[in-house]
Amino acid sequence: MPQFFLNKRLIILLVSIIVLVALIGFSLRERSKLSWPEQFLKDTTGWVQSLVSKPTHFVTGFFENLQDLQNTYDENKELKSRVENLVNLEAQVQELKQDNKELRDILGEKRTLRDFKPLPATVIGRNPDRWHEMIIIDKGKLNGIKKNMAVVTATGLVGKVKNVTQFSSTIQLLSAMDPKNRISAVVQGKKDVYGFVQGFDDKRKLLLIKAIPSGEKIEKGQKVITSGLGGVFPKGLLIGKVVDVKPDQYGLNQTALVQPGADFYDIENVIVIKRLMTQPVNMESTDGKEKDL
Amino acid sequence: MRKFLLPLLFLLLFIVESLFVEYLPEKVFGFERIFVPHFLFIAILFLTIFVGRKHGIIYAAIFGLLYDVVYVEIIGIYFFLFPFISYLIYKLLQVLQANLITAFLAAIFGVSLLEIGVYEMNYLIHVTDLDFIGYMNLRFYPSLILNAVVTLIAAYPLKWLFEKHSEAIRAE
Repeated sequence: MPQFFLNKRLIILLVSIIVLVALIGFSLRERSKLSWPEQFLKDTTGWVQSLVSKPTHFVTGFFENLQDLQNTYDENKELKSRVENLVNLEAQVQELKQDNKELRDILGEKRTLRDFKPLPATVIGRNPDRWHEMIIIDKGKLNGIKKNMAVVTATGLVGKVKNVTQFSSTIQLLSAMDPKNRISAVVQGKKDVYGFVQGFDDKRKLLLIKAIPSGEKIEKGQKVITSGLGGVFPKGLLIGKVVDVKPDQYGLNQTALVQPGADFYDIENVIVIKRLMTQPVNMESTDGKEKDL
Repeated sequence: MRKFLLPLLFLLLFIVESLFVEYLPEKVFGFERIFVPHFLFIAILFLTIFVGRKHGIIYAAIFGLLYDVVYVEIIGIYFFLFPFISYLIYKLLQVLQANLITAFLAAIFGVSLLEIGVYEMNYLIHVTDLDFIGYMNLRFYPSLILNAVVTLIAAYPLKWLFEKHSEAIRAE
């Protein structure tokens, strides 16, 4: 009965397409945490991944060190010239810190949006198909990592924690296209200008800062940092430098194109940032479809 | 021992893909393109061709699910495409004769089907807004070249391994 078998195959295909749509719908939904089978799978593979990636990190680290040795002489020369300036700067910083502390004591304000606790972590994996731009790190819930925390490298903000399991977590990089991902940012100048990091220009490798009021003047080379007003990220994490400004679609706002400070590709060690300032209590109730971080 | 060999091999390939992407320099030969490794899927296609449909599809489903859960976090894309394309390739190889050259061509064909399938699905659920021409230049051709080279190197060892494996299954 060839007819029967043909039908059976067709039915299997149709059923699997229905299951596919259901599964994709299930996983695209806003989820506060992963289901336990997913967490279990991720933890197990995370363990195997760190078993494999730690030795490879060691080996590649060794070769990188060898390369660094070649440039040591030139680097040393340049650094020596910088050190002289540094001493001056250090004295100034010390003074300013002291000043700041005294003023704060007078005001009675102890905590600021800037305070955070760093949690260092190592990258153990990366999404191979690179549609979603995610990396996996070796620290999880047990190390105090929570969803939506900011993640930085030495040179700037790279992303946020997307999902946490017991021993590992996934980080969504800023270069991922996710309209739900908005980070409140400040363009530093004579007057601070606020906007949202929203989107990434794939071809030019630039971040887009949207919703800047059209009256504000923004110049090339101005630095962009996080504002801390979103309630989750602390203030003062470097995002990048302004490269270009253009009016948006309707001319009501401006969009700044920002060269990210961090390299989204070559990441080996990251720091997860835990904000010390308490979060707004009504975060849950205002949790709509879009989140401002 | 023989029982654990295949799962271990696939698990290793699964992890190697992520390591490969981590350590591949951003610009290869001065071109800023995205090279997507599909080593695991190539091995699964060879398994389907040289061992059998049942084995191939079961492994494809298991590792597709694992891929989705661990790397993509959207369940369904690879979980559906891995077994589906394995099945298509199995059907194709029933018409043709299974030898090294046809297996090589079938693997390349399977990988390109997978790439395009994943792109279309991601386009559908708004993970990307890249147009098709841009996609072809940025991702498709570079990935195809990478995977063709890897298949060329790995074809003979994989065929040898899977043929031995299928002999062992038949002997039991």
